[in-house]
Amino acid sequence: MQQKLQAIISQAQEAISEVSELAQLDELRVEYLGKKGSLTEIMKTMGQLTPEERPQAGQMINQAKQQVQSLLNAKKKELDDAKLAKQLAEESIDVTLPGRGVDLGGLHPVTRTLRRIETLFSKAGFDVETGPEIEDDWHNFEALNIPETHPARAMHDTFYINENTVLRTHTSGVQIRTMEAKQPPMRVIAPGRVYRCDSDQTHTPMFHQVEGLIIEKEASFAQLRALLIEFLKQFFEDDELKVRFRPSYFPFTEPSAEVDIATNLFGDGRWIEVLGCGMVHPNVLKNVGVDPEEYTGLAFGLGVERLAMLRYNVKDLRQFFENDLRFLKQFK
Amino acid sequence: MKLSENWLREWANPDWSTNELAEALSLAGLEVDNVEPVAGEFSNVVVGQVVSVEKHPDADKLNVTQVDVGEQDLLQIVCGAKNVVSGMKACCAKVGAVLPGDFKIKKAKLRGVPSNGMLCGATEIGLEDDGVDGLLVLPDDAPIGMDVRDYLDLNDSMIDVDLTPNRADCLSIEGIARDVAAISEVEIKSPFESADIEYAGTCPQKVTVAESQACPKYLGCVVTDYDAQAKTPLWMMQKLQRGGIRTLGLVVDITNYVLLELGQPMHAFDLDKLQGGIQVRKAKTGEKLVTLDDKELTLNDGTLVIADDSGAIALAGIMGGLPTSVTDETTRLFFECAHFTPLAIVGKAREYGLHTDSSHRFERGVDPALPERALNRALQLFTEIAGGQVSEVESVISQDDLAQPVTIELRRQPLAKRLGAEVEDKRVESIFKGLGFAVESSEDGWRVTAPTYRFDMAIEMDLVEEVGRIYGYNNLPDTPVMAPMTLNELPESEQELHALKTALVQRGYSEVITYSFVEEGKQQQLSPDLPYVLLKNPISDDMKAMRTTLFPGLLQTISYNQNRQQPRVRIFETGLVFYKNESDPTGATQVPMVGGAVVGSVADSGWDEVSRKVDFFDIKGDVETLLRMSHQLGTIRFESCEHPALHPGQSAAMIKDGKEVGIIGKLHPKLVKGMGVSEDVFLFQIRQDALMTMQVPAAQMISKFPEVQRDLAFVVADSVPVQALLDAVMAVESEILQAVDLFDIYRGQGVDEDQKSVALTLKIQHHERTLQDEEVDSLIERVLDSAKRAVNAVLR
Repeated sequence: MQQKLQAIISQAQEAISEVSELAQLDELRVEYLGKKGSLTEIMKTMGQLTPEERPQAGQMINQAKQQVQSLLNAKKKELDDAKLAKQLAEESIDVTLPGRGVDLGGLHPVTRTLRRIETLFSKAGFDVETGPEIEDDWHNFEALNIPETHPARAMHDTFYINENTVLRTHTSGVQIRTMEAKQPPMRVIAPGRVYRCDSDQTHTPMFHQVEGLIIEKEASFAQLRALLIEFLKQFFEDDELKVRFRPSYFPFTEPSAEVDIATNLFGDGRWIEVLGCGMVHPNVLKNVGVDPEEYTGLAFGLGVERLAMLRYNVKDLRQFFENDLRFLKQFK
Repeated sequence: MKLSENWLREWANPDWSTNELAEALSLAGLEVDNVEPVAGEFSNVVVGQVVSVEKHPDADKLNVTQVDVGEQDLLQIVCGAKNVVSGMKACCAKVGAVLPGDFKIKKAKLRGVPSNGMLCGATEIGLEDDGVDGLLVLPDDAPIGMDVRDYLDLNDSMIDVDLTPNRADCLSIEGIARDVAAISEVEIKSPFESADIEYAGTCPQKVTVAESQACPKYLGCVVTDYDAQAKTPLWMMQKLQRGGIRTLGLVVDITNYVLLELGQPMHAFDLDKLQGGIQVRKAKTGEKLVTLDDKELTLNDGTLVIADDSGAIALAGIMGGLPTSVTDETTRLFFECAHFTPLAIVGKAREYGLHTDSSHRFERGVDPALPERALNRALQLFTEIAGGQVSEVESVISQDDLAQPVTIELRRQPLAKRLGAEVEDKRVESIFKGLGFAVESSEDGWRVTAPTYRFDMAIEMDLVEEVGRIYGYNNLPDTPVMAPMTLNELPESEQELHALKTALVQRGYSEVITYSFVEEGKQQQLSPDLPYVLLKNPISDDMKAMRTTLFPGLLQTISYNQNRQQPRVRIFETGLVFYKNESDPTGATQVPMVGGAVVGSVADSGWDEVSRKVDFFDIKGDVETLLRMSHQLGTIRFESCEHPALHPGQSAAMIKDGKEVGIIGKLHPKLVKGMGVSEDVFLFQIRQDALMTMQVPAAQMISKFPEVQRDLAFVVADSVPVQALLDAVMAVESEILQAVDLFDIYRGQGVDEDQKSVALTLKIQHHERTLQDEEVDSLIERVLDSAKRAVNAVLR
């Protein structure tokens, strides 16, 4: 019997080793271990043995079965592995190829700058207000202490629609609209487009400003100065930024100042003007029914394109409005 | 205002370098735009006299000169200048001299002739080009051998100060010197003393002033018997030139000199050309005047003029007239030195397209106390240089109309509170005194009287500013703004524009910002039905109309980029459009919009699939993203529409609550060429307010019961919009019909021509129980019925 079993095992071993597909392996399993398989057949011959012989024979057959089974298992694993390996090989791709999807567009650098300014001030509790761009004389000039005859009107290069309406020359008119609509105290900024009838290398007929306004019972020029210095340092992320306040003149503020910055990060260390500011002129407060003895106003106006140019190394102002994609795509 | 630094220092001379002086001026509010040395760096150039000139033996264009530079021997210098003549005085660079650009003068031989130096032209020593082709000719009395830098006072700079309109008092050397003295705390000193003029005989020229409010002070006097050949001295010419004023003959030069020095505009008439008495009056309608710049003006009746019996002879405070002006032939003069009030002059020069040094000052305010001093100064200079007989001064003064000094109360507490700094009393007082104000103590602080040249002093804050300005803004303490801490509103039902912009960016759109004014013709083509607003003074003709649509700017941007090898363009813009509306206080309804445009392929060239061109549904998908983000996909409907800018078969209006809030479509093929674009451009535009309201989510329980899906393929006429079928299905009232999805549209075999098959999936579910077959069947029947009735749809 032993010889018989041995022969079957050798035969199975040889047959299994030649198998290359799972189906064949299954056939072999049936051939050896199935109900009519050769080992099962031998099992059936156990009845012919004496009771004494049976345990040993049973053991031998079982061992043989296990041997064949493990040969089958090993082969199955081998075939499974090979199949998987083949599948994996077939499915391999060049992972360095770019992924599918749309390329990103980008926000305009002016928007990006505005967003930065708005975020800084919003976090300090400023509300964001907007106003019309075609503006009446009252909000753009008269209420801001710039009467018809004022020489400052000539500085504004105003676009006129008719005698009483203009394209706003600054965002300061939003100060008036906000104070007309709300009660102090208040903290607001007003970003937006403004227009001046001037066009050359350093002027575009449209540009952007952010107006800022604080109305409080206790507010001082020193506080305005401290706030704006902090803003500029945060905006440029430069603690070493040099800032100077230069007395200036705006009809709607007093005292008034223009603010220059100097840094080695950009430019050549020379002073560059970036904003104008001051304390709201008592006449302006009176014009909107706020008592200048009770309340004090702090106001400022930021030139957005100038800040954007310094922040993002833009050399030519006009690029902002040419909208060349090769320029815009640098601001993703 | 431009001025000579040396001249300023004659009045106030702090121990500061030129740069320190400029910085200090800027920080006092007199912004220095530019500082420029009057000459380049050079040394060892002296006044020389050309003693002889002989032709060079071997060169046609060269001369051999002998030049006296005050040394023992004459210098032999070979010179190529055309204007070299024997006897002239010129700038001579000696051997060892260094000229601008580090050009060293050495002994040399020119075509074999030794040359020991160089005779110089103006630009060769870094002076402004004097227009002479050749040597800079020096006056005959120039001392031989004197260093040219000293002789021409070249160790000087021109300072350009950009003055704000409130500081008219600084439109003179004296005015700026006053501020310099105040900030540096040095004494201001006048470099001249008031002259004792011999006034002889009454003034033969009579003056009457009809408009004493506009002209409260008019001084005049006649000068005769002077040396009409007298020339403007070199020092005066230099100061004028460095102040940016051309020399135009002695008389005009002196009036300009006084203008620069003291800030008083003056005018001189040729007395022999005046007819009868001088009158100061308003112009008569239609009156004509030929001004000094030889332009004939027809005067408006509000204009203040100087007139004689012949009519207007000068625009008061702006410009003189040509017929009565001083010429080389003039021998008798009438000097005018008057005060015109700002209100009388402001805006007048601009009415005539003029802007003069005189109008600039009078508009902003000239010291009413100045005319006496200024006339005296002018006469002093004139008689010193040209002699002459001076008549008594004819003066017409209306004391009541002259601005009186203003006294303002400055309270100690508001000063400290507004400035945010405690300034010592002593310092406050010294600041005002330094600026020429009178100060006396009062109960709460000070009573401050402003000098008559400070037109900008009216209220307490004006004084606060003066203290702050001289104290130095940059010396103020760093104090944070103190305000109650409050939280801002955060309305969750408001969409943020930024979120929409970001969504477009993620879909490949670049944001653009285009001008709000566009070409009128293009706007009319793209948006013919909307009333628009025109600018009265556009920057150019193609930027004249305020936009009623974002399309012109978007299309121009596409054109610009297509012309620069950018075939794939995806752009958007947000901003206002303006509809003319007379009932709005601003004359326009101003509506925030978001618009976009795409052209070219769907994606930048991919590696695994052929990229196709964008079509209507690409851009509609982008728009639907915006709608979806703002919870408007269900409320804003797309309806086929006709729009002048768009292809009639590929355009839709976006309708919300029955109102059009946007449009989308393909640029009309007939407009493609005119807009300068190529290929199919797709555009959209939506009112921002249609996208700004969202719902705050209110979550519902998820049903535990199974969802049933039923697919239905309908056959409808090809002309039926799918939306109409969807509407018909959704119109069926049912608590179990949860959603309808479109999953296929088919035309072709099996479906009749002019028909299409539209396949829908119905998602059916009950929240509280498992559905019965009968319920579902009944729903389907009602759906079929509704579809049949609405669009004659039948099951395929």
